[in-house]
Amino acid sequence: MSLYDQDDVALREAQEARLRKVWEPPKGLFLRWTDTNNNRVGVWYVLTAFGFMLFAGVLALIMRMQLAVPDNDLVDAGTFNQLFTLHGSVMMFLFAVPMFEAVSIILLPQLLGARDLPFPRLSAFGYWSFLIGGVFVSGSIFFDAAPDGGWFMYPPLTTRTDLSGLGADIWMLGLSFIEVSSVAAAVELIVGVLKCRPPGMRLNLMPLYAWYILVVAVMILFAFPPLIAGDVLFEMERLLDWPFFDAQRGGDPLLWQHLFWIFGHPEVYIVFLPSIALFAMLVPTFARRHLLGYPWIVLAAVGTAFLSFGLWVHHMFATGLPKISLAFFSAASEAVAIPTAVQIFVFIVTLWAGRVVWSTPLLYATGSLAIFVIGGLTGVMVAVAPFDWQAHDTYFVVAHLHYVLIGGTLMPLFAGLYYYWPLITGKKLSDRLGRTAFWLIFVGANLCFFPMHLSGLEGMPRRVFTYPEELGLGGLNLASTIGSFVIAAGVAVIVLDLCRSPWRQKAPRNPWAAGTLEWLAHPDDEDWGIRSIPLIESRYPIWDQEDFVRKVDEGRYFLPDAEEGRRETIVTSVLDARPVSVIRLGGPSWLPILTAVALGGVFILTTYHFYWAALVSGMLTLALVLAWLWTGTAEIPEKPCKPIGHGIELPLYISGDAAPGWWAMFITMMADATAFSGLVFGYYFFWTRHADFPPMAMADGPGVLWPMAALAVGLASWLATVGARKIHARGKIGLARVLVLLGIAASLAGIYAGLAGPWLSGMDPQAHSYPAIVWTLAIWTTAHCGVAAIMLAYVLARSLAGKMTPQHDADIRNVTVYMHFLALTVAVTYLTIGLFPEFA
Amino acid sequence: MRKSIIVGALLLAGCNSHQSALAPFGLEARSTLTMTTVLVIGAVVIALGVALVFVLAVRAPEGRLDHAGGMRMVLWLGAIVPTVVLTALLVWALPAMRPLPDAVQNLRVHVEGEQFWWRVRYKPQGQPPLISANEVRIPVGRTVVFELTATDVIHSFWIPGLAGKMDMIPGRTNRLVVKADKAGTYRGICAEFCGLSHALMAFDVIAMEPAAFDAWLAASREPPMRTEGRGAALFEASGCNACHSLNGGEGIGPDLTRFGERRTLGAGILPPTVANTAAFIRDPHKSKPGARMPAYAAMPEADALAIARWLKEHGR
Amino acid sequence: MMGERRKWHERLKVTLWTLIVPPTVWAGHFLFSYLWAAISCAKDGRFAKFPMLFTVGTVIALGLIVLSGWVAWKQQRTVGDPPPHEQGTEVDRLRFLAKSTLLLAGLSFVSVLFSALPVVFIGDCR
Repeated sequence: MSLYDQDDVALREAQEARLRKVWEPPKGLFLRWTDTNNNRVGVWYVLTAFGFMLFAGVLALIMRMQLAVPDNDLVDAGTFNQLFTLHGSVMMFLFAVPMFEAVSIILLPQLLGARDLPFPRLSAFGYWSFLIGGVFVSGSIFFDAAPDGGWFMYPPLTTRTDLSGLGADIWMLGLSFIEVSSVAAAVELIVGVLKCRPPGMRLNLMPLYAWYILVVAVMILFAFPPLIAGDVLFEMERLLDWPFFDAQRGGDPLLWQHLFWIFGHPEVYIVFLPSIALFAMLVPTFARRHLLGYPWIVLAAVGTAFLSFGLWVHHMFATGLPKISLAFFSAASEAVAIPTAVQIFVFIVTLWAGRVVWSTPLLYATGSLAIFVIGGLTGVMVAVAPFDWQAHDTYFVVAHLHYVLIGGTLMPLFAGLYYYWPLITGKKLSDRLGRTAFWLIFVGANLCFFPMHLSGLEGMPRRVFTYPEELGLGGLNLASTIGSFVIAAGVAVIVLDLCRSPWRQKAPRNPWAAGTLEWLAHPDDEDWGIRSIPLIESRYPIWDQEDFVRKVDEGRYFLPDAEEGRRETIVTSVLDARPVSVIRLGGPSWLPILTAVALGGVFILTTYHFYWAALVSGMLTLALVLAWLWTGTAEIPEKPCKPIGHGIELPLYISGDAAPGWWAMFITMMADATAFSGLVFGYYFFWTRHADFPPMAMADGPGVLWPMAALAVGLASWLATVGARKIHARGKIGLARVLVLLGIAASLAGIYAGLAGPWLSGMDPQAHSYPAIVWTLAIWTTAHCGVAAIMLAYVLARSLAGKMTPQHDADIRNVTVYMHFLALTVAVTYLTIGLFPEFA
Repeated sequence: MRKSIIVGALLLAGCNSHQSALAPFGLEARSTLTMTTVLVIGAVVIALGVALVFVLAVRAPEGRLDHAGGMRMVLWLGAIVPTVVLTALLVWALPAMRPLPDAVQNLRVHVEGEQFWWRVRYKPQGQPPLISANEVRIPVGRTVVFELTATDVIHSFWIPGLAGKMDMIPGRTNRLVVKADKAGTYRGICAEFCGLSHALMAFDVIAMEPAAFDAWLAASREPPMRTEGRGAALFEASGCNACHSLNGGEGIGPDLTRFGERRTLGAGILPPTVANTAAFIRDPHKSKPGARMPAYAAMPEADALAIARWLKEHGR
Repeated sequence: MMGERRKWHERLKVTLWTLIVPPTVWAGHFLFSYLWAAISCAKDGRFAKFPMLFTVGTVIALGLIVLSGWVAWKQQRTVGDPPPHEQGTEVDRLRFLAKSTLLLAGLSFVSVLFSALPVVFIGDCR
């Protein structure tokens, strides 16, 4: 029995009017950019990422023209180096990863029957950061200042300021900024999948796309932070001359390679799995049946995610590491082929069991599978170390990675484009143009990249701007160049198809007759996302649940109204999607865009060595973030509960581990702890590299006393916060405030004590890698103490302002999560720098 | 269309026999080529197999395969068969990672990568080292150990016909143990991106019969024949000797003691003609962007030619 | 709560955290293998061919994976509800998570064996 009388047409229309008003986008030339609705932010995101893909594609065409004939001089070596560096960096950081995030921002709420993702403003912030950072990095080539050290940026070529210019800083700082936005998106997507599913959608009913997104977002959390740690060390060396990678002062260039590839290999799967996720959505649609082997897909996704973190050294097979170390990675690199094979056969078996309906998306999926299988098999080849010693850093690897990325990322995205275009615009793309484009891309890709297997084995190394005629590689290279232009022609046909879309007729709703939730979307899309949030009983509710679409449309499920004029969605439990609460979502705001600009300022101004301006920009960022949190989070609702229909009443405020905010903090701190572990790895890595570490002459610093004092006060601030949370929950607000004050004092003392060790013992970070890494760990940890002090002060202010009460204590609970991680950081840092030299 | 391209490509593959992993002249490269052949055959068979299964899947009528049958197929084709194949591959390939056995009496050749050339030091057992540049000579049939280092940036030492590549990393010494089995003249290159002229950093590899190698080594220890004249005076007056040694000593730039014997100029990129050499002296960055050598643009062409001519004669 | 006594492996609550136990064991074993070899080679310059530490570590890892796989195998046979177990019920959700855990245990088992192979074939630090 519903609370609402949905048979009443007038009531339904009134509800729709209210929903429409609540979800109305901001209008006007400027105001429209303050929008945060996932549909619009997602579309901006997709278009921007697509634009970067076209840009990087043009860079590749210039390279192919240069290499079309031997001894060519179309572009000079310097330009060529910028071209391949930007091509790789843009495709990876500005196309593949953001594209997956963009598509997910559009699709995920639809797949989960949610009105929006839990943190719409965070998505908007991520988008603006991406746009600013992306334009900054790619624009540099027009000023002949683009990075030119390769997308892997190996020091010392890139850290020596006499050998590399501003480009290296642009790469490092511009892309660090984008990495931050990637991590932000990962947080958003994980919380979205775990906490914003519709009632009844237990883990075993989740659309497979959501499984993949969950897995990939978790991978981002563990893969990007080591690179961020590497970026920190890298810029410390470039800007401050701290010798982490300078062998003459105790550094080691290989430290960078480890940190880069711990990121770099999972990255490959981060861009591959979402594309397979698109297959997992469209294959059942065109096989006209449920996907066979749902648990196998989960096995494959989770298994690949884990194994992908045990592959990184296969990019370092030729670095002369002991063969036994290489062999572990060779073995894991072979093992990762197993879950990949499982996925491919799950799709094949589903097509076998079902009735195949040919369509343009399925054509793309088939073609990409063919290309991907070839790339996967050459991947198994290069995982065999002796073969890799020949193939490594040659065009064979160029062929391999392009087969994998074209078959595993680019063409699946085109399959997704043709599949989901009706969902986003309400119109289908042209089948004729789509098929033409497909054949051009398919033939072009093989023509371009197949010959590279041979040119690589015949001795053509990567990243060469020219090659001598007597090598006899002219024919193979010319074929590759022709192939690259055929691919470009195919992409141009797709662009043409997209451009003609606005003049086409609307397609019927659910034009592919699919069974999953996202196809509830109506061609004349409303901004509210979904009319009412359904109860899910099947993996393919549109196929299996009786009268499903009508019931959703008539608001017969949950939350069909917006009585209080607020944007809302339902939060459910992680395993079984039991409704937990209703949360209010952030609406249009200037804060995300302003914060992105301010944070971008920090990175960009630092690139040009305007340190004071960067500091000001940093303070501004902090102020904006605080304003954002203060006005937009942990709001005490006007009433404790609200009904969502069918006799269910849900609280409007939750805190602790049922709340999205708590999860967001937890997940963010996982990423933070991973970055920290990258720095700690650096410390112990240097220990393995040196017979005496710390070096005898520097063994005095930082001593034992100060690190132990810093450990004590750091743990004191943690205990004070934990105590404050517990006492606060019991209603003793005054005592809790005193404890928070103590926590602030202890955190500030932690800053002093942490820096006093290296400072008072006179450690010179420019002298050797040992003082440099000790300083870095101390600075990282004390900076976290500083953030702790700010957070605790914020909590105190919330309490004093009456925005935090014993019943509404999300603020202090979330800060407590931060403090748990702080305690871990403090313990590891000070035990390492204080006590390890005693034993080493 | 694809087929014809592959056939065409295979025809082209025969063209290059001096810088190709497909034209081995050493034990390591030869066994890797065998491995490559096996891997390629395996990959082709698997790719065709998957394609066949895919075609069958698309053509099968609805319901031909039931749930249990499908799951069996995923288990066998997706999980068990790949696991067995990969296990066999590992058991076969892991032992091949072991380097060739080494012994103290083996010839050691220290090669140091620099932007953008190669410093070569032969270190025969019990003899003083012999210094050279941009050319590596090795005896056929004897084990040779390359000791690979770098000081400026990372390079990678790759002689495709001899063995796989090995990086040269500042602060580390990497070892590559090889054994050539076919005399001839080959080419090696830098395989790790190292800056502007990465593409222009190569070297000549000459695999010699052991007797000829020993004779060459002994002859190289003779003091080079000295000729005096305008070229010699200009070489000194222009300060060339500040970087380039002419008597087997260490210098900032490549050793030029036996420049006249070299097969190439500028680290494997130009024929060592007098005209090329003179042009290189006056503007090294034209053919070698980013090279450390300063341009002698103000030097009259006649002087440059004189130096070049003298260098060609020197040490011959 | 069910009124009947259930075995411990049936009482164990299967969650997303238990799902990742087998691959986490693999990750732990992998990290252990790599660090053990890297530190032995960097600090001692050699390592024993079948060292006690490595063998014990591998056996423990395999044991943990087998154990979690066995629990998952038991749980994925939980009775109730008709096949193919794709419904939104308590039992089907349990069976799904258990089945996925079982499959992951299989993959992790193979991967740990793969990680152990190098020690069999490569005996020194060169």
